Amino acid sequence: MFTDKIELKDFDKMDPEFKELLGHVLTIQADCEIGGPHLYVEKMLPAAPTKLDQLIVARTAAEEIDHYRKVARVAGDIGVDVSFVLSQPNEKRFVETFRGRITTWEDNAVFGFLIDRVGRYQLEEFYDCSYLPLQRILPDIVTEELGHIDYGYNKTLELIAKGDEGKAKAQKAVDYWYVKALDMFGHSGSKRSERYRYWGLKRRSNEQARKDYINEVDPILVKMGLKVPDPLQGRRYM
Amino acid sequence: MPQSAPNTEKMDEHLLEVVQALHGAVKKGIPNVKDPKIADKAIQDCKEILDVIMDGKVEEWLN
Repeated sequence: MFTDKIELKDFDKMDPEFKELLGHVLTIQADCEIGGPHLYVEKMLPAAPTKLDQLIVARTAAEEIDHYRKVARVAGDIGVDVSFVLSQPNEKRFVETFRGRITTWEDNAVFGFLIDRVGRYQLEEFYDCSYLPLQRILPDIVTEELGHIDYGYNKTLELIAKGDEGKAKAQKAVDYWYVKALDMFGHSGSKRSERYRYWGLKRRSNEQARKDYINEVDPILVKMGLKVPDPLQGRRYM
Repeated sequence: MPQSAPNTEKMDEHLLEVVQALHGAVKKGIPNVKDPKIADKAIQDCKEILDVIMDGKVEEWLN
């Protein structure tokens, strides 16, 4: 197990596997950060139910663009150009969740509540990681992600409070995004995930992170009066 | 030290300006959300900025 902490100046001395893994994970992270706005800005900025919600959609997008910027800077400094993800069509996003468009307000709400929460988990993987420039950008990003999760949660609650129709819409969106959220953690027993942990770039196995997520989210769904979807139905990565 | 990817600093500076402009528009809009003229202008400003980013014409941004 690699336990050193690495600065940018040490990067050239590192093992090629460390370099490859760090570049890879930063590229995926950058793609996910910019992938969010590409899902919801086009339809949700004009269609959010109130002007305040429209402005919060814009603020959320601004924060995600800033997260992209910070991750892209860490990547760029080690020679990894991630700018191609800025013009990448959604269909080519690394993570399947980001390949499409959000077209309904309930999907936008649940996306914040469930998928931004996975984003928080992904970022928490880098807490105390071996590459210090990555570690340093985390606190502000995670704080903003927490805001997105809370906003999505509150908007989902608002829908449920509207009665049977609102609750049915929220449940349908949860059924869709819950499965995608679980898939975002990747394959259980992934060899790449083991190597990330070996190099101190991640803390948990994919299956452990997914289990922690389920343990956090399921009681929240129950408390909201929603049904927990079947965690195995429709999954791509088990 | 590793060699930086091309345009790393330039892109960082550009996107920081974009983010600041978006936050500026949002900060004008949110306290005035009940004033349609100010709020609509703020939303329109955000839309114009975000449309450029969503278009992703990176080379145009940097030249």
